[in-house]
This record gives sequence, structure tokens and C-alpha cells, in this order.
Amino acid sequence: MKNDFSTTKVISTRTACAVLLMLLCAAVSLASVPPAVDLPQSEVLRLGERMYREGILPSGVSMPAFIRGDVEIDSSAFSCSSCHLRGGLGSFEGGVVTPPTNGKKLYQPYRRPPSLDDSHDQAGRYVYAKTVVERPAYTRESLANAMRFGADPAGQIFNDVMPRYPLSDRDMSILIGYLESFSSAPSPGASASEFRFATVISDDVSPEDRQALLVPLQKFIDQKNQQLAMYEDFIKFGYKPTIDMQYAFSRASLDIWELKGAPESWPGQLAAYNAARPVFAILSGISNLDWRPIHDFCEAERLPCLYPITDLPVISETAWYTFYFNKGYAQEGEATARFLHQVKKLTPQIPILQIVQDSPVGMALANGFNKSWHEQERQAVTTLTLTAAQLRDKTTLAALIKKHKPGVLLLWTDAALVPKLPKLSKQLPASALLFVSSGYLGKKTKNIAEALRSRIYISYPYRLTPFVGSKDGGFDAKVPLVMGAESLGDRRIVSRSTTMLRQATLRGLNLLYDNLYRDHLLDIMSTQMDLIVRDYERFSFGPGQRYASKGCYIIQLGPGANPALLPKSEWVIL
Amino acid sequence: MKSLLKLCLLSLLVALVAVILPITSHAGESKKYKRSVEKYTIPDVVLTNQDGKKVQLDTLLQGDTPVVVDFIYGTCTTICPVLSAGFINLQSKVTAANQTVRLVSITIDPENDTPKVLKEYLKRYRAKAGWEFLTGSREDITRVMKAFNAYIPDKMSHYPLNMIRSPKDGTWVRLFGIMSSREFLEEYQNVALKK
Ligand code: HEC
Repeated sequence: MKNDFSTTKVISTRTACAVLLMLLCAAVSLASVPPAVDLPQSEVLRLGERMYREGILPSGVSMPAFIRGDVEIDSSAFSCSSCHLRGGLGSFEGGVVTPPTNGKKLYQPYRRPPSLDDSHDQAGRYVYAKTVVERPAYTRESLANAMRFGADPAGQIFNDVMPRYPLSDRDMSILIGYLESFSSAPSPGASASEFRFATVISDDVSPEDRQALLVPLQKFIDQKNQQLAMYEDFIKFGYKPTIDMQYAFSRASLDIWELKGAPESWPGQLAAYNAARPVFAILSGISNLDWRPIHDFCEAERLPCLYPITDLPVISETAWYTFYFNKGYAQEGEATARFLHQVKKLTPQIPILQIVQDSPVGMALANGFNKSWHEQERQAVTTLTLTAAQLRDKTTLAALIKKHKPGVLLLWTDAALVPKLPKLSKQLPASALLFVSSGYLGKKTKNIAEALRSRIYISYPYRLTPFVGSKDGGFDAKVPLVMGAESLGDRRIVSRSTTMLRQATLRGLNLLYDNLYRDHLLDIMSTQMDLIVRDYERFSFGPGQRYASKGCYIIQLGPGANPALLPKSEWVIL
Repeated sequence: MKSLLKLCLLSLLVALVAVILPITSHAGESKKYKRSVEKYTIPDVVLTNQDGKKVQLDTLLQGDTPVVVDFIYGTCTTICPVLSAGFINLQSKVTAANQTVRLVSITIDPENDTPKVLKEYLKRYRAKAGWEFLTGSREDITRVMKAFNAYIPDKMSHYPLNMIRSPKDGTWVRLFGIMSSREFLEEYQNVALKK
């Protein structure tokens, strides 16, 4: 009986397989070679890129797809680049290997590592996403077939993770045109033998800060070249390198892109530098002014800019090419809003007054606060923007406080206001809450009068728990480091640049091998594991995430001339 | 016109192939996922949903209809699209049969996944009411992962997992791996119809 049962099963499986095979053959004949389209190459690339990244067909509608075998889903939720990533070299996530999908790799035979648990269990069954391990080179025809029916050139069927895309010949041809073109030649500034980098420094930066940035950068370049020299010596003496080794060493150079004069003239200066000697990526950089002109330039040129020292980054959910440490001042404003949102006794009747110094810093703090406050679905607060002169004037602020009678006062001003705080707070009810920014007050934050310290809340976007690692931001030495009042106003240029270099190289450049594409660099950097670093509690990543540190404490100061920093919130406030 | 016809044919074919494939694998009894029945103790934590509302997790997971739980995050690549496509499909199939389905996704990237990110994620997948996406403090999220025997030290190494709670006896069917949506629906119905 039992036997009979399994025989029928075998037969039914066979029949099904035969049907399947017939279907597939029919499919192959149907899916003829996609013809070249009558569009200029630039249009093919633009439309193909949109299909690949956004899942939108040339007609403007969303691409249909079948996933997990039988689930029909349109591509508004995810697209090719969700899995194969923007650079197209694939990913390894959730235990599943997603292979490369750039023409350069597809048109060659390929062998890939198995997915996690991609093996038989005791009963001989696959327990996970089975992966095609080895396949011959694709042609345009077999590639179309792969995307439509999920079969490789040898007829092996993909696992259910790779969706099936029923595309018309014309759309298919556009998509394939894009796959053939992207990630094919090394990006500017990179070759098998050399990486060219630049850093950007604007002329408002002090000589000390400039030096603090350049020392670790120069050391990094020197080390890379030294390692290369040693490696070349080994080769001379007959050492045979492993494949990994061949890609681990390359010459590196660093240009300094000095920006002079008004920020409006920066784009022109940047373009001239980049045209004269294109670079693979911008390593760090520093400015006290709005980072936007540099950000926009990198976005337009598709040029990675890795962790510049700026507290005025561009806040965007879609921008791609600049990795920031965090959102700078805006992050302090956001954290304040989230903290305030959780204050239970804060009823809608209690007036909130936001005083903003008319400066890029004041604006960034206020914008961060307003955006986050709005996200909490709270009523907008009263915001008054005052010039530095108005803030210094004895009567202006007093009159405003008298008029608005705030129960919560946000003071996004510089340290000139610190000595005035005692008098100012006398005007407020005893229950009133005051908020300031440690970034804006800087070193003088610690001069806040002792009597006020239990009433004033301070946003502080850096680490507070002891850090075990070397002082300069590296990971080697084990010196527990506790942040105290001396870290208020510290820009941490050396330590943050060191963190950037470790991070960008160990988990970025060193993993490129022969895929010298800028987009691929950003892909691998954004799919790395979380990091514990000196200046922040945690760095976390994900495709499209561009602000590595998501936290910001709200603190108060302890007593004394060298006050302790007392956290009043979690690192990440929900 | 001719190309339109061809396209229709193509879609039909893809759909057919898609339907045939799981049948063959089913008939060959080569299930691609691991199934077990487990007992979990839900920790006493308060998480935050996509609307910024606080929810007591153990209360949310109780009730007299099954609950399906998975762990995903807003910017995840390969696995989350697959898991979430499964949720969406289950939601539409079950609601079409006039039953309610309760889906709960819990983020494993609480740093990034604010309620706003969660809300946008659900919108992207066109989720209907009944699919909750929760975030919380890292500590609480870790406790929840551990309670479901699903703890991973880093989100980049997570794996596809679905858990379905039986309202009958509070046990959980644990499904590890990638199922076709038909298999997922069957697993769900088995729990729902459990006497
Ligand atoms: C949900 C994740 C996901 C999405 C979305 C996705 N893929 Fe894939 N793709 C995969 C996985 C996983 C494989 C490997 C399948 C296997 O080995 O069984 C794959 C395989 C492929 C292959 C075969 C590669 C080879 O070496 O044989 C090509 C070509 C491909 N995908 C192109 C695309 C294109 C183009 C898109 C968008 C139209 C896309 N994929 C969307 C996950 C995905």
C-alpha cells in the first residue's frame, strides 16, 4: 500500500516535470532574441536604469513580477536593485546569495558560493533556498529567458527568491541594454594598480582643524603605499600571491581640493579639480559651512564622499553618494522633539516656544525639531527667529518670554546666551523645561550655572558609555575611555577620520577585488554589520541608509567645574 | 497588437510555470522549509507600531484568531521582500475568504526603523489593516528575538522565519525557510482550523 502510494507520487512528479519542460520549450521559442530598440543609447540607459532601480517600465507603469513561485506582485515594493544592489554585483543577505547581474559577469561562465544551509537535510531534502552553483555564459537570449522563466543557460531552475518577470521584447531589450552597460569598466579614479582619492577643505576651516584632518589621511595613504612596496618585494623574491592578495594592495594618492571664496563658486571649483584628475572617492573633508554644494556635486557626478566632518549635512531620504556620520545639528533637534513627545505632563495647552538664532546652525536645529515634531503628529510650536544682535539685547528676549509664557523653551542659540540663562529662567514658571544644543553651545556648555543644571536639557549626539579601544578611534588598544565635560565642543576630527578610514577600507575598498565600481563600494559599505566606534554608541547600515549613527542623548550636567554628563534618555529615542 | 498578444501569452506562461513548480516540489515531497511546533513565552515588553502607538506585545499576540509573526527591517535586501510578499499574499487570500488575518512584523533594525519608516514600508507593500509593524528599544527587540529562539547578533545575518500562533492552545508553528505562498496558506489554514 505504502509502496503504491509512493509510485503514484513519482509518476505524478514525472508528469508534472514533463509538462513543465514542454512549457519551458514553448517559452524559449516564444522568448525570441530581444531585438535592439530604436532608441538612442542614453535613453536605453535611462529607461533601463529606472526599471532596474525603481521597478518602473518604460511606459511608466510598475513592472509585474512573480515571486515565491506563485505570488504576483508589482515592483513598487522592491526592484532588481533591492536584491542585486545598485552596483549589480549582488549581495549575501538572509543566508541567500544573490549573484551579480552586470553583463560583464553574466556573459562569462560563473561559479558561486552556495547559500547558507543550501544543502540536503537527513531526508535528502533541501531545507533552504537552493542556489544554482555553476552555469555557462549567458547570451542575450538566455538572459531574457532567465528573467522571464527563472532558468539559467543550462536549464537549471532558480530558487523562488528570484522573481520571474513577464516583460515584452522591447522592455526586455531595454533592461538587458542596461545590464550590459552598467558596472562594466572601472569607475574613474580606479585601476588595477591605483586608487586616486581627494579630500575637500573649505577656506573657513582653521589651520588646526585642517591639520587634524590631514594627518590621519596622509598616514593612511603612506601606509597603503608602504604595504604595496613590501608586497612588491615579496613578489620579487618569488612569493606567489593568492587571488585575494592580488587585490589587497594598490597604490593610493590623495589630492586636496581646496575650496575658496563663496559657496556659490564651489561647484565650479570642484568640477575643475575633478576634470583635471578624477578620483574614485572623496575621503572625509571638512567645512564649517553648509555641506550642500559638495553634496550636490557628488550626487551629480555619482562620486562617493565618505564621512565628511560636517554638522550641516544634507538631510535626504533618497540621496545616495555621501555617507555621513549622522545628521549633525538636525539630529539634535530631532532627538529633542522625540524626547519632548514622551514627556507625560506635557499637555497641548502648555505653550512651546522655539527661539532660533538666525544662522545655518539655528535653522538646522529648528528644522530637525520641526520635522520630527510633525512626524509625532503634534501641533506646530511657536517659532521666533532672532538675529545674534537681538539675542544679545537685554529686553527683546525678556519681552518675548513675557508675551508667550512658554512652559517649554527651546533655545537654539550660540553660547553668548549662556551667561543670560539664570535671569531668563527666573521669568519662567518653576515647572518649565529648557532645551539647548551642546553642538551649538560648544565648550561653553559646561558654564551653565549650577543652580540651573537640573532644569536644562542638553542634546548630545556622542557616546557616553565607556569605549574600549584606542583613543584615536582605532580598534586595537584596550583603553576604556569615558567621555566627560572636556568632550563638549570637541569636534573629534582625528578620531572620526580614523574611524572613517578603518571603516571605509576594511569593510569597503578591501572587499572590492576587481570590481572597481563606485556604486559597488557604496553597496558593500552599506551592507556591512553594525559597528561599535569611539565617538558614537553604534553605527548601523543598510542599503540607502546614509547617516551611520542614529542616536543622540538628552543629558543634564552634574555639579562642579568639570561636570559629569548625565543621560536623561536612551541613545535612540523612539 | 501582435506584441500585446505575445505579452499576454508570456504572462500566462509565467503564471503557469509558477503554479506547476510548487506542485512538482510538493508531489516530490521536497519541502524547502523546516516545520516544527514550539512553545514560546512572550516577554513583557511594550513596542511601538507604525502609527507611533504603544502596544503590549503579549496582549497583541493573544486572541482567538491565529497570528503570524516575522522579523524584518525597512532597508533589508533579499529576504524581506520575499517574506513581505508572502504576508501580502496571505492577507489578500485570507481576507478574500472573509476571515481576518493578523500579521505582525517586528523590526530587527530599531535604530533606523522609526514608526515613519515602518509606515512607509507597509505602504510600499500596499498592506491593509491587520498587518502591524513594530519597533522598540534594542534591548526589548533582543528579548523578543530570544523569546522566539530567533536571536541574531547582527541584522545582516538574519534568516527567513515565520511563526503562526494557534489560538486554540497557544502553541506556535515555526516555519524556517522560503515557502511558496500556497504552502504558507496551507500552514496557516491548518492552524486556523485546528480543533
Ligand atoms: C527578491 C530578490 C531578487 C530580486 C527582486 C531580483 N533578483 Fe535576480 N536573483 C535573485 C537570486 C536569489 C538569484 C539566484 C537564484 C538561484 O541561484 O537559484 C537571482 C538570479 C538572477 C539572475 C541569474 C544570474 C546568474 O548568474 O545565473 C539574473 C540575470 C537576475 N537575477 C536578474 C535580475 C533582474 C534583472 C531583476 C529585476 C528585473 C532581478 N534579478 C530581481 C534575487 C532577486
